[in-house]
Order: sequence, then structure tokens, then C-alpha cells
Amino acid sequence: MSNNWEMVIGLEVHAQLKTSSKLFSSSPNLFGSEPNENVNFIDAGMPGMLPVLNWTCIEKAIKTGFALNFTINKHSVFERKNYFYPDLPQGYQISQFEFPILSEGYLEIDQPDGNTKKIRIERAHLEQDAGKSIHDIDPKFSFIDLNRVGTPLLEIVSYPDLSSAEDVVNYMSSLRQTLMYIDVCDGNMQEGSLRADVNLSIRKPGGELGTRCEIKNLNSFKFIRQAIEFEFQRQIEVIESGGSVEQNTMLFDTSTGETRPMRSKEFSHDYRYFPDPDLLPVNLTDEQINQIKPSMEELPHQKIARYVSDYKIDKDISKIIIAEKENTILFEKMVNESDVNPKNIASWLVGDIFAFVKEKNLDVLNLLEYTKDITDLLKLISDDVISNKVGKEILPQVLEGKGKPNELVKKM
Amino acid sequence: MPKKQSISSLVNSLKEKKISVHELFDQFHKVAKENANNSYNLVLDPDYQKSNLEISQERYSNGKNLPLDGIPLGIKDLFCTKCITTTASSKILSNFIPQYESFVTQQLLNDGAIFIGKNNCDEFAMGSSNETSHFGPVVNPWKNKNSPTEKLVPGGSSGGSAAAVAEGSCVASMGTDTGGSIRQPASLCGLVGLKPTFGSCSRWGIVAFASSLDQAGPITNSVEDAAYILNSISKHDFNDSTSSNHPRDDYLKEIDKKLDHKIKIGIPSDYLKNVTPEIIAQIENTKKSLAGYDIEFVDVTFETTDYALSTYYIIAPAEASSNLARYDGIRYGVREEGGNLDDIYLNSRTSGFGDEVTRRILIGTYVLSAGYYDAYYRQAQKVRRLIKDDFQRVFQEVDFILTPTTPNEAFKIGEKLDPIAMYMNDVFTVPTSLAGLPGISLPSGLSANGLPLGVQLIGNYFQEKKLLQLSHLIEKELSFNE
Amino acid sequence: MSEIDIKRISYLAKLKLPSEKEEFYSQSLVDIIQWVDNLKKIDTSNVKPLHNVTEATVSIRNDDIEKNNSTEDVLNNAPERAQNFFKVPKVVE
Repeated sequence: MSNNWEMVIGLEVHAQLKTSSKLFSSSPNLFGSEPNENVNFIDAGMPGMLPVLNWTCIEKAIKTGFALNFTINKHSVFERKNYFYPDLPQGYQISQFEFPILSEGYLEIDQPDGNTKKIRIERAHLEQDAGKSIHDIDPKFSFIDLNRVGTPLLEIVSYPDLSSAEDVVNYMSSLRQTLMYIDVCDGNMQEGSLRADVNLSIRKPGGELGTRCEIKNLNSFKFIRQAIEFEFQRQIEVIESGGSVEQNTMLFDTSTGETRPMRSKEFSHDYRYFPDPDLLPVNLTDEQINQIKPSMEELPHQKIARYVSDYKIDKDISKIIIAEKENTILFEKMVNESDVNPKNIASWLVGDIFAFVKEKNLDVLNLLEYTKDITDLLKLISDDVISNKVGKEILPQVLEGKGKPNELVKKM
Repeated sequence: MPKKQSISSLVNSLKEKKISVHELFDQFHKVAKENANNSYNLVLDPDYQKSNLEISQERYSNGKNLPLDGIPLGIKDLFCTKCITTTASSKILSNFIPQYESFVTQQLLNDGAIFIGKNNCDEFAMGSSNETSHFGPVVNPWKNKNSPTEKLVPGGSSGGSAAAVAEGSCVASMGTDTGGSIRQPASLCGLVGLKPTFGSCSRWGIVAFASSLDQAGPITNSVEDAAYILNSISKHDFNDSTSSNHPRDDYLKEIDKKLDHKIKIGIPSDYLKNVTPEIIAQIENTKKSLAGYDIEFVDVTFETTDYALSTYYIIAPAEASSNLARYDGIRYGVREEGGNLDDIYLNSRTSGFGDEVTRRILIGTYVLSAGYYDAYYRQAQKVRRLIKDDFQRVFQEVDFILTPTTPNEAFKIGEKLDPIAMYMNDVFTVPTSLAGLPGISLPSGLSANGLPLGVQLIGNYFQEKKLLQLSHLIEKELSFNE
Repeated sequence: MSEIDIKRISYLAKLKLPSEKEEFYSQSLVDIIQWVDNLKKIDTSNVKPLHNVTEATVSIRNDDIEKNNSTEDVLNNAPERAQNFFKVPKVVE
């Protein structure tokens, strides 16, 4: 039945910025602290408290601008988005509205056919995260923890250029990877460092776009996929049974895998955005923007290109390595420290080394202290001192730090 | 009215041990405690201030006294004072005890000042007569000589501060001015009221009314006292993003310096269009008093005066509607119970705010709401630019601008019920606030009813030093204080 | 000027006007909005809105952590709390 319907999806991704302190206050930006431990008078919305902007947040936004091909706006304005919620102490969220810091970027994602697809990004803006209401401690009460209040967020809003759950997951994971590479976001979706709102509507090919629904706050690839599949089917069923899709904000129930509309409001929202009179506009100079350029980390696609051209490594293997930033740190250390052929290092890395890491459930970075031993071992193999087979036998001991390769060889 | 004691004379008496810090505090405390005019929401007793008084006395004994050492000051109940209840004269904050000290009051403490108490004011500083306070109206210590039993308003919103200084319960009081809230009550109580340039005194720790307009300043007996206080409070504060890092002057030094060049003062004819002869006489008196100096008075005309009040009554309520969203009964303040969360919000806010505050929240919400934003809020912000530019045009011709402070003398409590009639009180002070310029109100004479009237002197940005010098001269020549 | 929907405005402002006062506020709002309507006479098509008289750039701080208060300091004015949480009736989403 769904064969002749297609989905049209736009994504709003909220990325928590990796900073020491919050967007407008100097409280620690930390996950997992005791309740209300990282809350100061500004975060708690106490009378007379005023925001002061954290420069690192601007810096991280600019880096994101370079990485995602954005226009970096020299003039941006923080505005107040007014609404009431217990985890929003000020009664407004400081965000950017009319003048965001970044506009018109894009990200290329891989398609199953090997081609890439360009996903256009409308804008990205800085804003404050809200606190958390905890509902499951007491049946009658909610408990408010304001630790997360004021955590810097970059909201990245795509155009509706995504047309499948697969697209969305590809886009989201590529975005995540990029943000992690440039040290903007730690990418920890479980802890909510990266969350997505999915705007989904359906249409017949070439037909008119239906009414869209927004599914809020998805924080895993699995949930994103489930929510999209469910919502897609739901909208088809509504329309095919003669109804019409109501514009709604949906919640995704992780236990049932279903979406349901949020409690409907008596009146529609009206956020009454206006420039925050406690803050002045952010006016950046070319110099300030360009100063950040040299500190830009190499992006995933740039690394792939370099691995392929400089090291003659297969594109597919390069992709496996760059999947996590940690892998590239390990790989590049081994390449830089030794004269072993990088291609050789790469194939051992994605083969036996990754298998070992997976089996032992290790952090790749734990291996950094043995890189010399690993490359020494590879050298023994390439110099034909030992066979490939012996090398494979010795490798796990090297990775566990049980000895130097030549000693281990002697013991055999 | 009680005899006025200047800060400099008090500091001298303390230095010369003619009086002790305790005795001085007691002297003012005694008047404050009576609270005859309801000018205090809270009076701090000598026990509470014991250690502050002792430390201050010690500094005098060691000859190491600070600029405001031992000087008893009133503080408008809009400044958050650490561990001292701060209510903004609102029910919703009536139990709020800040764990922090506002930047401005901290500067005063750093300079040795001792606080007498928290002065009553209009609720969240919204009002021009101090009648909107949850703790009841403040009474002007001045009486109409033709009707001495009438209770008159002290002006607002810093009405408690003005009444407190006038009744002699503190040497000076810190006020805040959003559209005239320092200058107007100072005028109606025969005092000096200074609103510094926007950005001079940090707003950190002051309960916000309208962030782009709010500015702290002193209400004092004399221009020299105002300079004492300004020296203490006008400083760049990193924690207020709108705080200016413009260099500050020593406002006391050379305050009585003779004019060394010709000064041009503009008198806006459009301000005097519809005012009573008594008010015009204030301007004339001031002019006459300066006849012996090299001062030229010229007529100037503003093109935007008629729009200033409208602009103000869009921008200030808009900002207020958002600034007051944090009062919800969840984290602090008075919570009114309800069956669910929404009822707590609704009940706490509805019963926590008085009529005028509610009215302004509604206006502000309306002018920011979808469909009206461009017509009202954005238009007001554009007109605000025209007002600012209008002042800059006039300041190309003149050094200062002289206007009446208020269109009338102090009126009876309960007399002005119509909000718009009340808003008209600020017609002369609001344009300056919108432009962010410094303005000072000086006592200029008495009305036929024997009530004080004032004139306002406006300077260009950060010209407080010259503004105070000229004000000092006018004060001396008018010698109204005698 | 179109009629003011006082119910919607008070809903947005989280105020529950007692019915006997609704008319009072409604009339008051109409009067004030009419009073400020004179701004519409001014041609501002070429004027930039003025957010703040200080038209400088926002001041910026370094990304340093400062802790000047305890958890207790932010909680001790709370009308209701449970351990170190603020406590409210259940929020239904």
C-alpha cells in the first residue's frame, strides 16, 4: 500500500557543544552530576541575573560553518523565545531567530548506489538547552533538575531533502561524525548530546506535499528509524482511510515504537520572539572568523581523500577507519611513527586489530601506548623475519602489552 | 522638612569624632523605624548591622575610612541584597531572600555605606506614584499648604526612596529609573535625582523591569551627594553585557569648578506647549538664576516628542512581559497551589501580580504576539532610533537640554485612576530614557501650594561630570535648599 | 484596530483573569493600544530598529568555569522541593 507514497523529511538536529561552561553562564557543562549541582543563579532564572556569552560557543559555531559549507554571518542576534515550562527557568529560551549565526550550508551523504546526495541545510543557530523534568520517581509529582539548563546547543535545520529513514540515518551519522571530528560535539546520543526532531510529510510522486508532523527529541538511530517508519505508515493510513493529517507535534514512545500527538493545547503556540535586551548583537570581523580556519581539524571526507591519494589505501578501508575519530588518531600515529607501509597498517587495523578491540570491548585509544610495538611487529612481518601467521598469533599479546614483539617471537 | 546633612559634612563629623557611626545610624534608624510614610518595606535594625557598624567605626578610628564609610543609605527594594528579603514590592516575591548582592549595592558596601533598609516602590517599578506597591502607597512627606491633611504621592516608581530621603530617614537612597522613576519622585519630593547614561551602572542583581531602559541612580539631598554615590556605583561590570567600558570620571573632583567656556543650553519649546504657567516658571527661574554666567539659552525643537510615550509604552511592557515570565512559583517566590502544574502557574501569577503589573504584562504580550509585532514592537524600535537621532541632532547645537521634570506637582493618593493619565506624568523623562541619555532632576522652586517642583537637565552620553558641574551651579544659584 | 482577544493574550502570559476583571483589562488594553497607535503615522520604512542604545558588540567571556554558589543556594527559596530537586505536580506531556 505504501508503494505509491513517498516521504519528505526535514531534520532539526540539536547538538550540545563541547565546552567547559554553559552558553551564558560559567556553570560547568557536565553530564551526570548530582541534581542541580551545576546550577548557578543565572541558570535558575533568579531575579536580576544576566547572561554573558561564552566565546567558545561562537568559535564552535564558526567551525561548524566551515565544515558544513555554511555562510558564516558576521551579524547575528540572540532573541528570546517565550514559553512556560518548569524546566525553563527564565520563562524564555535564548535562541537566534531572525539573524542566525550560520545560513545556507550543505552536507553530502552516501547513497546505496554509490553516488552522493547533497542535503541542503537552511540554517544553524545557537541556543540554550532546557533542564530536565523527571517523571518516574513519584506517581504524582515531577522533579526538576536544572543541570542541563543553559547548555549550549547548535540547532542545525535541514531543508526537506531527505526521502527515507535510510537517508535520515545517513545524514545524522555523517553530521555526527563531522561534529565529532571538529570537536564541536561529543556525539554521545545516549546522553542526549545529539538529538533530532523529524519533520515528516507524505506525498504521491510529483504530487502535492501533505501536512507535516514533527516528531520530537529522538536520541538514537534505532528510534529515528522506528519513528519514521511508524509515522510514515500512520500518515498513509489516515489519508487512505479518507482523513487528513493534522499538523501536530508528536512524541515517540520508545517502549511501543509508536508516535502519538502531544497533549493538544487550547491555543496554538506564539513564541513572541524579540531581541534579548540583555545581550547586544554578535558582530564578527573577517579576522575573527578567519583566525579559526587554521585550527580546523581535517574532516572525514578530507581524510578519506588523503588516505586514498597519499597512502594508496582503498576507499572502503579508509571509510572504515574514519568511521570513528579515535581510529584515525591510532592509525595516523602508527603511520607517523614508523616506516611501515600505511596500506599494510590499515589492513591490519581494520582486520585483526579491530576484531581484537571488539572482542575485548576495548576503547581504541587504549592501544595508543602500544603503537610502536604494533608497527615493530608489522615490520618483522614485512621484513620476512616472521610469517604472517606467527604475526597474527603474537598480535593479541602485543595489544595486551605482554611484551615487545621480538621478545615474544623469541619465546615462541 | 528635616535639616539636610550632606555626605561630606557627615564624613567630616565622623572623622572628627563629633559623632560615631553607631550614633549616626541610630539617628536615621529612629526615623526609618517609625515608617511614618510607608517608605520602607524593611528596616534593618542596629543589631543586624552591628558588625558593619563596628568595622566602619574601626576604619574611622584608624584613619582609613572609605568614601561612604558609615553613611546610612536607603535601597530601593528592587536591588537584590544578599540574605535580605527583596520583594520588588510584589506579592509574588514577598518571601524572596536573594543569596547574592547586586553589583551596585556591592559597590556601596565596598565603599563603607551602611544600609538602613529596603525602600518601598511601585510593584516591579511599574508606576509613577508609588501606589502600585503590594505593601501600600508611600506618602509624600511634603504637604499641600492649602490642604495640609491630604496625603500626596511621592511620585514613582522610586517613591519610597524619595520619601525616605525627604523625611530624613536616610542620607540618600538608591533608586532605579526606567522612564523617569528616579527623576520624577525626586522632583515631587524636592530632591536631586540622577539617572546616569544607560550602561553606566550595572543592572546585575536588580530585579528587571525593562532591560533596555533600566538604570540605577541616586536620589539625594544635593548634587554633591549624587556625585559621591555616582563615584561609587558607576563602573564597568563584566557580568552585565550592556555595561559600558567607557572611562569614568571622578565626579566629585572639580564639581564646583567655574565654567571655563561658554555653555549653550537648549530649551525644547515642544515640551512647554501644554504646561501650566507654574511649570514654565520653573524654567524661567532657572534661566534667571544663571543670568550672571556665560550661558546662552536657545530654543530647540524635537520632532519626536509626541511619539516618545507611545514608544515607551510598547517597548517597556514588551520587555517586562518577558522579564516577568520567571515568576511562576516553581523555584522561588510565592506559590499558589493548584490541582496541576498549569494551575500553579496560573494561580501564582494571577494572584502574585497586582493590577498595573498585570496590565503591562498583557500589553507587552499583545505587542509581541504574532500579527502585531511589526505594527507595534518593531515600529516602536524604529521610532526609538528616530528619538535617539533627534537628541543627537539637538546635541550638535547645544551642550545641555533643560526641561521641566514633571508636568505637575505631587497629587493626591488615589486621584489618578486612569492609567493613561498616570503615564502622562513621565512625558518629560521618557524621551531621555529611550535615548539612554543621562538626566538629572533638580529642585527649582515651590508651587502655589507650597509643593516642590523640579527641572530636568539632560546631557549627552557619559557627560555626567559636566552635567553635575552645571547642576551644582544651578543648585547654588537657585539656593532653594535654604 | 482589530479587537483584542483578551483570552488568548492572558493564556500566552499565563494569567487567569477573573471573569469580572476580564472586561476591565480588555477595555484598558484597547484604550492603551489606541493611544499608542499614533506611531503608525510615522514613515519608518528606511529606519533600522534600535534594540539597544548601546550599539556596541556583545561582551564575551572565556570558556571558564566559575562556581560561586552551592546547590543549596539555588534551592533554598523553593516553595517545594524533594531532596535537591524542585518539586511540581506531575507534568503531562
